[in-house]
Amino acid sequence: MDLISPKERLFRTLDKKETDRKPIICPGGMMNAAVVDVMTKCGHLLPKAHSDDTLMAQLSKDVSDETGFENYGLPFCMTVEAEVLGSEIDFGSLECEPKIKKEVFPHVSEVDYKDINKMLKEGRIETITNAAYKLSKNSDVPVIGSLTGPISTADSIVDPMTFLKELRKDKENANKVTDYVTDFLIEYAKQLIESGADVISIADPTATGEILGPKMFGEYAVKYLNKLIDAIHETGTRVILHICGNMKKVDNYIPLIHMDAISTDAMVNLSLLKEKYPQLTTMGNLSTYLLESGDREHVIKATERLLAKNIDIIAPACGLSTSSPIENLQAFTRRVKEK
Amino acid sequence: MSKTKEELLEELSDAVVDMDEELAASTAKEYIDEGYDAYDGISEGLVDGMNKAGELFEEEEYFIPELLLCSDAMNSGIEVLSPHIERSRSKDEKIVVIGVVQGDTHDIGKNLVALMLEVAGYKIVDLGKDVPPQAFVDKAKELNADIIALSTLMTTTMPRMKEVIDILKKENIRENFKVIVGGGPISQKFADEIGADGYSVNATASVRLAQRIVS
Repeated sequence: MDLISPKERLFRTLDKKETDRKPIICPGGMMNAAVVDVMTKCGHLLPKAHSDDTLMAQLSKDVSDETGFENYGLPFCMTVEAEVLGSEIDFGSLECEPKIKKEVFPHVSEVDYKDINKMLKEGRIETITNAAYKLSKNSDVPVIGSLTGPISTADSIVDPMTFLKELRKDKENANKVTDYVTDFLIEYAKQLIESGADVISIADPTATGEILGPKMFGEYAVKYLNKLIDAIHETGTRVILHICGNMKKVDNYIPLIHMDAISTDAMVNLSLLKEKYPQLTTMGNLSTYLLESGDREHVIKATERLLAKNIDIIAPACGLSTSSPIENLQAFTRRVKEK
Repeated sequence: MSKTKEELLEELSDAVVDMDEELAASTAKEYIDEGYDAYDGISEGLVDGMNKAGELFEEEEYFIPELLLCSDAMNSGIEVLSPHIERSRSKDEKIVVIGVVQGDTHDIGKNLVALMLEVAGYKIVDLGKDVPPQAFVDKAKELNADIIALSTLMTTTMPRMKEVIDILKKENIRENFKVIVGGGPISQKFADEIGADGYSVNATASVRLAQRIVS
């Protein structure tokens, strides 16, 4: 019998306090565990649950109940922000997550700046906040609200190839757009928190050292992530940040970002990262390829290797495939809880 | 005083490395006005610059924004020079069918690979992003392609790569094409596991890979 609740355990870990064991979570958004197995078993289905708060809350609870991840994660895509900001969304299917059909603006100089308060009433913002509210009634399980980070949100409204070039070529407007989406993300995060989200998780897959290089990562990613994280911290809420890909070119920037825990991809050696920067709270990073294509034995062995590495929060390394077998997810979470 | 061909070739190359679209175009115009050979201007000037940009990318001096800007500069120069070239595609030109596999819409890496292969003289047929496995096979068959190049950034769509190979096997045409794979989560080990003919870590390495497997 666990002495402390999953919420308390996650909070204590994010606050660098002692706990009985590691939290095991899957925050939602890019990294969500709404796999086909869970949906077909429980009957709360995507893509419908992307835009129905009751279904979304039920599916989020199903995911936690069936897989053993000790949190409720919301939403199940990375398109909520882009939709409200004007891009066209393809909502996908049961197996296939939503994606941007077309970025709405060709250049950073042509972005149409909308009223942020108005946007908070549009699209699926209320769907997500209502779902968060419904889930927050179980006070033992942390509700994690997931955001798409500033750079990835900006490049989901401006053509991504052009956006990357204009980070150099049109710095003035690139900054203006990124600042605008950050302001929107701050207000959206506040709504999530007011509705009951206990923790905010940010995933910014375009903001990687591999894509941007160290200079642009420092100039844009660090600046706007910190603006967002600082504003969330002002509400007293803790923040998890996921950085995709190999971090070796930018790992010196990571301690400069103000998140409470850093989550990384499978290729990052988290014990080495922690050795280099002991102040970091680390999260990760079981290969999602293994979770999809491996068998239970291998999942358990890989989980044991993670546990031996002294990672603070155990989680998948990246986005999960919707065809990941439920047995693998259960083997993963069970092994962590045995410790 | 007019500049020598060598001087202008170097300026073309530098304009690409320096990501200067306007300079690449104006230098290309100057080069043509001097009556120098347009084909050399592309291959020894602009493409030379792009190759240097590729080297800087491999050395991690340049990243994706820089490489894209270099490519814009190269293209603005090519636009000026190419009308002055007698076009005759050589008969043994190798054809590459390339795309991002189904379920994934991240195409920056794929675009870079297509670009670098094109610079290296391959004929590129770009199927775009979110491409179903069968579509790769159908297009490769139709064009009698030499290489099928598959890209993905996401772990979740990696299995689509194997599906392409499985279809080729099922149709008994696996030996007709070389299949190469790449993208963030892909590794040589994964390429070996699914029976691909090759993996490259980035766009410039993909040129060496292509040359190795189809030579």
